[in-house]
Amino acid sequence: MSTDKGQVERATGEGTDLWRLITAPTIWAVHFLVCYVGAAIYCEKAGRASALLPVTWFVAATTAVALLGLGLVFLSLWRVRGFSVVGGDLNYLGNTPEERHRFLSHVSMMLCVLSAIGVVFVAMPAFMLGTCR
Amino acid sequence: MTNRPAKVRRRPSGPARPSLVALPILLMIVAGCDGPQSALSGAGREATDVSRLFWVMLVGGAAVWIVVMGTAIFAVLQPPRGARVGNAFIIGGGVVFPVVVLAALLAYGLSMLPDWAQSGTRLKVHVTGEQWWWRVAYELPDGTLVRDANEIHLPAGEPVEFVLTADEVIHSFWIPAIGGKMDMIPGRTNRLVLTAEKPGTYRGVCAEYCGTSHALMAFSAIVHERDAFDAWLAGQAKPAVVADSVGARRGRDQFIAAGCGGCHMMRGVVELGDVGPDLTHVGSRRTLGSGILPNDRETLEAWVRNPDHLKPDVAMPGYAMLPDADIAAIATFLEGAK
Ligand code: HEC
Ligand SMILES: [Cu+2]
Repeated sequence: MSTDKGQVERATGEGTDLWRLITAPTIWAVHFLVCYVGAAIYCEKAGRASALLPVTWFVAATTAVALLGLGLVFLSLWRVRGFSVVGGDLNYLGNTPEERHRFLSHVSMMLCVLSAIGVVFVAMPAFMLGTCR
Repeated sequence: MTNRPAKVRRRPSGPARPSLVALPILLMIVAGCDGPQSALSGAGREATDVSRLFWVMLVGGAAVWIVVMGTAIFAVLQPPRGARVGNAFIIGGGVVFPVVVLAALLAYGLSMLPDWAQSGTRLKVHVTGEQWWWRVAYELPDGTLVRDANEIHLPAGEPVEFVLTADEVIHSFWIPAIGGKMDMIPGRTNRLVLTAEKPGTYRGVCAEYCGTSHALMAFSAIVHERDAFDAWLAGQAKPAVVADSVGARRGRDQFIAAGCGGCHMMRGVVELGDVGPDLTHVGSRRTLGSGILPNDRETLEAWVRNPDHLKPDVAMPGYAMLPDADIAAIATFLEGAK
């Protein structure tokens, strides 16, 4: 047995969590691509002098979806956080599935925050620029 | 006897106080921030914007650095106060503060992006990057082009639109004191609007590696008052002047005979080739070899004899085989072509 009784009691989940780790940055990356490719296609078709307003709305909608997705991932990880670093019972040396799970969950949660900041920064130009130029 | 050193005396090695050395070095570096090629000297509206942006970014970056480092050092020095206080510091100093400052800087930078509307009335200057020189043409309101090379003249206080492209490889057009830079890309036209403010002579450079003599590809940017600019442009539109002397006329004949016209346009004298810089008014240029050499007799002769020596891999053959007298005559002729 690699986990003792205490470990089982404070178990928060299992699995490698690698998918959850890359979900947030993936949302960020997809948001980036959708915004920039969308704006590029629109501006190419509409001409350099045309107004950016449709792009602004498009980016706003994409951003809302991205932030919603990040929020959901964040919430699912927040529950784990309740037990993790601030729980006071984190076994820093414990090379156990439970400790790995908590650590990766915490990292994923911070990546959520980082990705949300990234998404907002990516979206900002669409709200500040007036035309395709 | 032993050849071991008897006594190792500690010599005071190097200057005692680093600050005493740092000061002159710092002064030297700071002194380099002024002059004809400085982005901080603010001789153009766009350069002033860029230098303001630079200072704002510097202050913002310094604030982030100080707060983050300050929080970290504070955390190390303080006795532990529990997770709640710790988290507040990490999130406040390490996340919220930098994010807010960076967002403000991003917004400020974005707000400075120019919105270049097309304008029919603006002076247009077409500049094409060549290896390794600049093909220049001033577009008059009626659409005619006045051709020149290796020098840019601008009227002070007016927005001027640069229409930028390149011949074979990517170059970049930059007059740090006035504004820029903008890439010049083969098959593409990039636009850059600059407003020179203070009359004077500034230095522009190619800011994108473009081959062997990239570092030897510069130009002078001369900002005139409007009247002086108009006079200059009118002069530039005229065909080449052949000075009224035996030497200059002989030089003109030699210039034609040697085949220089196969590459160089010399309006009114030979109008054949267009591979090299327009030489119609080469005598009035401040520099030779695109901004790298003084435009004097000695350099002219040296250039015609062996340009590769002055500019490695240059696309102009040397004429060292011509008799000295012919080269001297060509130099007389080119010097007179004001
Ligand atoms: C094969 C084409 C070719 C021929 C022929 C040629 N040149 Fe050139 N020349 C060039 C090119 C290309 C440059 C630009 C070099 C550079 O700065 O990279 C140039 C530059 C110059 C310049 C400097 C121009 C400036 O604005 O700084 C002078 C002066 C000049 N040539 C004179 C001559 C004379 C005189 C002859 C004839 C004896 C001649 N050239 C023949 C291609 C040619
Ligand atoms: Cu270059």
